[in-house]
Amino acid sequence: MITAPFDYVRAESAAQAISLIGQHGDEAKFLAGGHSLLPLMKLRLAAPSVLVDIGRIRDLSYIRDAGDHVAIGALTRHMDVETSALLAEHAPLLAHAASHVGDPQVRHRGTIGGSIAHADPASDLPATTLALGATYVAQGPNGTREIAATDFYQGFLESALAPDEMLTEIRVPKMAGAGWSFQKFNRRAQDWAIVGVAAWRRGTESGVALVNMGSTPILATSVSGALAQGASVGDAAQLAAEEAEPQNDLNASPEYRVHLAKVLVRRALEESSR
Amino acid sequence: EATYAIERAMDALADVMGIDPMELRRRNFIRKEQFPYTAFTGLVYDSGDHELAMDKAAAMADYAGVRARQATQNVPGATKVIGIGQASYFEMCGLAPSRVLASLNYSAGGWEAATIRVLPTNKVQVVTGTAPHGQGHETAWSMIVADKLGVSPDDVDVLHSDTAIAPLGLDTYGSRSLPVGGVAIALACDKVIDKARKIAAHQLEASEDDLDFAGGTFSVKGSPDRALPLAAIAFEAFTAHNLPDGLEPNLEAQVTYDPPNFSWPFGTHICTVEIDTETGQVDVLQYVAVDDCGNQVNPMIVEGQVHGGVIQGLAQALFEEAVYDTDGNLKNASLAEYLVPAACDVPPITLGHTVTPSPTNPLGVKGIGEAGTIGAAPAVINAIVDALSHLGVREMPMPASPHTVWNAIRNAQGASK
Repeated sequence: MITAPFDYVRAESAAQAISLIGQHGDEAKFLAGGHSLLPLMKLRLAAPSVLVDIGRIRDLSYIRDAGDHVAIGALTRHMDVETSALLAEHAPLLAHAASHVGDPQVRHRGTIGGSIAHADPASDLPATTLALGATYVAQGPNGTREIAATDFYQGFLESALAPDEMLTEIRVPKMAGAGWSFQKFNRRAQDWAIVGVAAWRRGTESGVALVNMGSTPILATSVSGALAQGASVGDAAQLAAEEAEPQNDLNASPEYRVHLAKVLVRRALEESSR
Repeated sequence: EATYAIERAMDALADVMGIDPMELRRRNFIRKEQFPYTAFTGLVYDSGDHELAMDKAAAMADYAGVRARQATQNVPGATKVIGIGQASYFEMCGLAPSRVLASLNYSAGGWEAATIRVLPTNKVQVVTGTAPHGQGHETAWSMIVADKLGVSPDDVDVLHSDTAIAPLGLDTYGSRSLPVGGVAIALACDKVIDKARKIAAHQLEASEDDLDFAGGTFSVKGSPDRALPLAAIAFEAFTAHNLPDGLEPNLEAQVTYDPPNFSWPFGTHICTVEIDTETGQVDVLQYVAVDDCGNQVNPMIVEGQVHGGVIQGLAQALFEEAVYDTDGNLKNASLAEYLVPAACDVPPITLGHTVTPSPTNPLGVKGIGEAGTIGAAPAVINAIVDALSHLGVREMPMPASPHTVWNAIRNAQGASK
């Protein structure tokens, strides 16, 4: 429960953070809210030699109306996402999902950018932003680039970010009145989902993503494809796990996970269709 | 606890007999007029009114109302079904006497020791062999002493848990601290009062039989002006200037109490659950506990003990489990994986009580530490099996995780097809 030794440096700006991470090489990690990284370090599952603390870069904490999308600074805390009036109006699914992250202490410290960059398939916000068709903005030594959420998640805790790139903004398309639902199935309120579903629906369009149904957050494209072709909610939900690679753990067998995904996707679509 | 097996068996038997589980228990309770009751094991149950506690719990849980709702809700194809389950426990507590513990192969005895010391400063020191770690002994022991000696609880210091101070004592377990250690304190107070009475009689020039002791003061019957407060007697005992012949100085007494019998708390817990048959998720809608621990010294501590115990029992029924792989490695060694319920995972708990004093000890107390854990696990599992009985489910392993419940439903459905 005690971390391996590490050095600590604090960045005052994104540019300085990227410069510092470049100086310290592959063994350096960004520290934002610390609610994913520090537990891993305490369990010695991660042992970076240097932490570059970006938690005080205030100008990366914002939620702005950007026309067709809402722009969220990477260092915006879950509690600010949860309680944002702008998100309540234009991306209520994301605001609601943020209210399910961990517990209040975690939500006051943890950040949306940290959660997404950590790329944990069991976390709520990677899958939710994936369902919403979000775009992530990364800043590196040579400038910024946009990465579609669909291209971002590459493996268990692996993202498309280069080691010297920092996630700076999350762009969430406005939901434009779409129905939505967030289903989180777990045993205790504070736990990660055993299976979770983030879904929205507007006419023939939909987005459905699964939490903890594989090594990455999973976009259930078969479900959306079936709905686009006029399938019933019940029939479409039967395709919930087509893209998934459900794992076995103490809470669920793969078979049970597939069953849960079908039930929860059906419920999510029913709620989204109301 | 054996109660888990007994209470699960009662429900299984009621199911086979086709009668209500509550009715089966009612027919088999030892009636209150049969106490003290010698069981076939030779143990003597001290006192009880099991039916009263069960009826009170049934009323608080609206047992009949839930049964009626269940009849309309648990229909074929329903995805939300309800169940109600009970546990009517009868518990061997206050572990003692020493000779009986020897026959049960306990290595220690069953007594507890107490010293009461009335200091010349008018403070009372209590040395107890019980070792509290959250059970509120300082508070409860102060209340017993305050009641006995007529002093303020604020003037009582309870010393414990350090062998340099309290070398004589056994253990805090088996709901025994009050019915053994607490009673030792009451008896030591009686010895202090007896000694103080001798000093008071001597100084007031009255016979001991002519003295009343009330509100911390001895007075001569019929002459309330001729009086000595305990504080003054303690000071006289300390200076020893004017004590009766042969009486040792200082106002102090020690008692080691080895009770003649166990104490036997009892009660009925009733749990109501709703189960999502598609996912196996169990939602505890209501938990009612009616416990009878005899006379209560501090009702707030009693409630706290029951709350904590019920949550521990709920956790055993629904959450906690040590999982090992085939090589013997513990697979859930952190508190992220070993599930202890947090406050938001605990259902509303409604408490009631009945009071049937124990005839075994002068305080009439029985102990409350284990009631919650003993009642909760079988009540919860009985409720879950009850909710799923129309689907053919007859057994439910603990913890009843969603996966386990889902498997049980599926297996029962497979078996019935």
